[in-house]
Amino acid sequence: MHNYELIFILQADLDEASLNTAVDNVETLIKNNGGEIAKIDRWGKRKLAYPINKANEGYYVFVDFNYKPEEVAGLKRTLGYNEQVMRHIVVRKA
Amino acid sequence: MTESRFSDRGDRSQNSERGERGERSERPRRFISRPKFCQFCSDKNLVIDYKSVELMSRYINETGKIRPRRQTGACAKHQREVAKAVKNARHIALLPFEGDFWTENN
Repeated sequence: MHNYELIFILQADLDEASLNTAVDNVETLIKNNGGEIAKIDRWGKRKLAYPINKANEGYYVFVDFNYKPEEVAGLKRTLGYNEQVMRHIVVRKA
Repeated sequence: MTESRFSDRGDRSQNSERGERGERSERPRRFISRPKFCQFCSDKNLVIDYKSVELMSRYINETGKIRPRRQTGACAKHQREVAKAVKNARHIALLPFEGDFWTENN
């Protein structure tokens, strides 16, 4: 198990309910694969430094978690398939 | 795509620092003050983090490029870390790949 941090950007024009389900889905995915979530921090709507797919705003979510290294690829893949997720980044903390 | 991007760059460089550099022989070289010591070596509590936009934005210039070590004063080790952090921040749209970040946001 290693300490990772994940930031993903959801489309800002989604309604409250779908934002919540999207965040919950990530949370359950991490937990189901043997991860432990230390913190979920919703930064909320932020202006993007440059437009992504013609969108100027994004809903940022930060997750601090412990995860098995071999499971990280699967997490990235799932986030990549999700069309509501505009960008994601997983960084292993030192 | 690439062609238009290059021409775009060319336009910008004409009225920014680059253009002035080209005329260096005519005008005196500008002095840019820089910190003498690596900011991260002198302050051990300061963490290089791609999430801290405020800190990272000090390491890019007005066109969005990563500022060279001779300007930032960072040591080799920390400059590498800064460069990495800026690239991470760009990916999640916290910092721009190109263009003026500050005027657009205000």
